[in-house]
Amino acid sequence: MTSSRTVSRLSRILALIPYVLDREAADVSEIMERFGYTEEQLTRDLNTIFVCGLPGYGPGDLMEAYIDEEEVIIDAADFFSKAPRLTPFEALGLLASGMTVVGSGEGSPALESAVRKLSKVVMPDADTTLTVDVLDQSRYVGTLRDAAADHKVVHIVYRSVGKEETTERDIEPWSVFVTLGRWYVHGHCRLVGGSRTFRVDRIRALDILDETFERPEEVPTPGVGYSPSSDDVTCVIDLDAGARWVLEYYPVEVVQESATTTRIRFHSPDAEVPARLLLRLGGHAKLVEGPEVGLRIGEIGAGLLAKYR
Amino acid sequence: MQNVVERVLNLLIYLLESPAPVTSNDVRNTVHGYADQSDEAFHRMFERDKQVLRRLGVPLKLEPLDVWEIDEGYTVDPEEYAIPDPGLNQEERLALSVAARLVRLDGTEAGVGAIIKLGGMERGDGLEPLGADLGQGAEALGELFGAISDRRKVRFSYRGHVRPVDPYGIAHRRGHWYLVGNTADGQRMYRVDRIEGLEVGEDAGSFTKPKGFDIRTWVSSQPWETGADPEIEAEVRFDAEVAWWAARSLGLEEPQRELTAKVAVSNREAFVGWVLSFGASAEVLGPPEMRQAVADRVEEALSRLEAIP
Repeated sequence: MTSSRTVSRLSRILALIPYVLDREAADVSEIMERFGYTEEQLTRDLNTIFVCGLPGYGPGDLMEAYIDEEEVIIDAADFFSKAPRLTPFEALGLLASGMTVVGSGEGSPALESAVRKLSKVVMPDADTTLTVDVLDQSRYVGTLRDAAADHKVVHIVYRSVGKEETTERDIEPWSVFVTLGRWYVHGHCRLVGGSRTFRVDRIRALDILDETFERPEEVPTPGVGYSPSSDDVTCVIDLDAGARWVLEYYPVEVVQESATTTRIRFHSPDAEVPARLLLRLGGHAKLVEGPEVGLRIGEIGAGLLAKYR
Repeated sequence: MQNVVERVLNLLIYLLESPAPVTSNDVRNTVHGYADQSDEAFHRMFERDKQVLRRLGVPLKLEPLDVWEIDEGYTVDPEEYAIPDPGLNQEERLALSVAARLVRLDGTEAGVGAIIKLGGMERGDGLEPLGADLGQGAEALGELFGAISDRRKVRFSYRGHVRPVDPYGIAHRRGHWYLVGNTADGQRMYRVDRIEGLEVGEDAGSFTKPKGFDIRTWVSSQPWETGADPEIEAEVRFDAEVAWWAARSLGLEEPQRELTAKVAVSNREAFVGWVLSFGASAEVLGPPEMRQAVADRVEEALSRLEAIP
């Protein structure tokens, strides 16, 4: 069994040594910040370095490592003049981080050139072999981020996800983030008087108001999934293989699974969303329970057929 | 853990400094921390420590000790051990540090491990209210990234079938990671979290990737653009209420009122589904065969509805 803590502690030691060796002076507080050390952890790692070295392990064989007048001193460690190369997962993690921010439209020219230089050493053809799709089609992410940073109230025209309706509201944005490939803004919504998470791509228009807000010390954790309420419309649907993609795109509950059919339960604030879903699935799905949804399918379907036939 | 950390440091120094490969017996008799162990305990410790070295990114190799290849020894080439210097300037390092802190993968900051090895985090204000979560990658992601960069063949089980694949690229889209690679049936895309029992081939450079391959073409397109149907141009009208939303998906200027757009379709099934997701707010105007396809889908959905008691 290898613990991840052992690996990350060693990884930090093997990065610390070359960094200090490479400099005339390495200030303790700078080292702590740069490598994320507490004073206690740094002392412990220096003490560890101090007892390791070349076979023989006599006074001339061991590395030197100590703190002197607020400076970190490491010596006799030439074999560690470079950090170990990145593991594939580390390389992927950092490249993907850079690409995510560039892809969000919030990258700087410095970040773009950093990603290019990094790719060159870890994966020369990274631009055609690795991609992170976090495109912000609304182009509001930057504006919302600035508003969150400046604590500015934002007026939005918003089309709800669960309900096919458009509302206008003032929000106090706390953070802007991407998860499951979609951008969200999390904050206090003055219309409902509570914290809410909005999909940025569903914001039709926005205005930054000339009003600032107090950001709470503790911001609640944003929830992006759909949280069912007692007023919800619930229906049960059987999906065949051609409709299984629904599981990846909607927050549904799988009730039963067989070789050919997946039975799901679908919660939504109104019947419109599941009705449209069932219409587009055609012969690949079947409504099992949920009379209001069946009714709505009938209405929309009849309206459509009147136009098309 | 303290013992393991010291022992691994000593082992690594020994391997880096030994001019020739060393046997496990050499390690046992030379490196501090292995003495006074039973055979079994030693082997367990040594196996575990080798595992730690590999997880750190240390290129540990087993090489024959003589021309008859009877005995083998361990070696770490200092050149290969050292992290290549991407030559980042101060501004680029800061931009990468900020990105590394923003983006999460598998619940942790995706790029921080790499930033530490590259010389630690730079201090600076960044895009604080911004965040990104790239979901779960699991261990497979790192291994696949390594296989792609070394051109190693992989094999895994996917939905109950064993797939031998030449891995070409990795994409993140809609919260999931995908592998694109070449199979006996042509290029295919697999969801990484559904890959089971991944095995990576021993030989690097065991396939050639086609020159024109670009992972971005796998994610940038809309479902109705990627299909085998002969391409057809469909004309669709969207009501004012949803026109802006449709325009964003189509990459068009956002209209003030309703929108009539021409759309190139090579996957009719997907196109019909997309149009119906707008319910009664969108209508295909032509050509007649596409109108027919929509009407047929609606009728299918309605006929399944009638089957409900």
